[in-house]
Amino acid sequence: MHKVFVYALSTCPYCRAARAYLDENGVEYDVVEVDKLEGEEYKAAVDEVRRISGGTAFPVIVIDDDSVIVGFNKKRIKEELGL
Amino acid sequence: MSEPRVRRRFAPGTTIEDLKEYMGPFVDRLGYKFNTESWFVDDVLTSELEILEQTGDVYCPCRVRTGDPKEDVKIICPCIPFHRDEFAAIKKCWCGLFVLKEVEDGSELFGVIEEPSGEVEVPVFRVEDLPPGQIRHVKVGKADIAVARVGDEFFALSNVCRHAFAPLADGFLDGYHVMCPWHGWRYDVRDGTTDHPDADVRTYPVTVREGHVFVTVRIRG
Repeated sequence: MHKVFVYALSTCPYCRAARAYLDENGVEYDVVEVDKLEGEEYKAAVDEVRRISGGTAFPVIVIDDDSVIVGFNKKRIKEELGL
Repeated sequence: MSEPRVRRRFAPGTTIEDLKEYMGPFVDRLGYKFNTESWFVDDVLTSELEILEQTGDVYCPCRVRTGDPKEDVKIICPCIPFHRDEFAAIKKCWCGLFVLKEVEDGSELFGVIEEPSGEVEVPVFRVEDLPPGQIRHVKVGKADIAVARVGDEFFALSNVCRHAFAPLADGFLDGYHVMCPWHGWRYDVRDGTTDHPDADVRTYPVTVREGHVFVTVRIRG
């Protein structure tokens, strides 16, 4: 089973769509809503998102600590997870 | 009393309709319109109003603030001028609130995020925004470009003079030549050539359609 981690924003429609897509396909994942964090936690999460994705755009989906998908790219999520 | 550091564009009590009215005419000049899916537009703008309440400005609901004002200004809605090339390539802004005018069905763009690369035609302004005999600067991605209008022909070249890096768009058009504002170096706007050796500047293809001027740039993949 793949390890899936989602960096999301509570305000972002594509984050909702991506999570709904994962839910529909029975994919288990961990998620953090970065905009709900505060102080040092917020800064650390923003730095991490910038480091792994090269930007500040959401959602950022990390699969098996290796592949990084920026945005709700259904095609790539499908390929990476073999859905 | 000292001036507040951040000026609020929108007062408390701002509504979705206020945002539409304010943003619509601006993005029109940039070659965009609201997404054709009105429920989606309302969804995004509702989020923006929540963000406005929390932060004092309408930051993109799909990007995060870094705390660096120079970075964060690039994600205040509408953020199209800061991302012209990548948005033109995906035919919408990052969150999809705005789509290129040519897009007939905005729902087809949901979840479609290709890594943009290759050549892309980027709308920069409307034909009437640049009168004949004038030249103006546009930022497209990282490129500083001067767009010149000679009669009804448009040309695009690097905005940076090779002599002392002056902005050519501050210069003067003389027929097909732009005179640099600082020392009068002359460049042919049609091909970027100058009479100084090894000092030509690059040019960009320009197209005009549906009343908009488009500059073609290359995006690194």
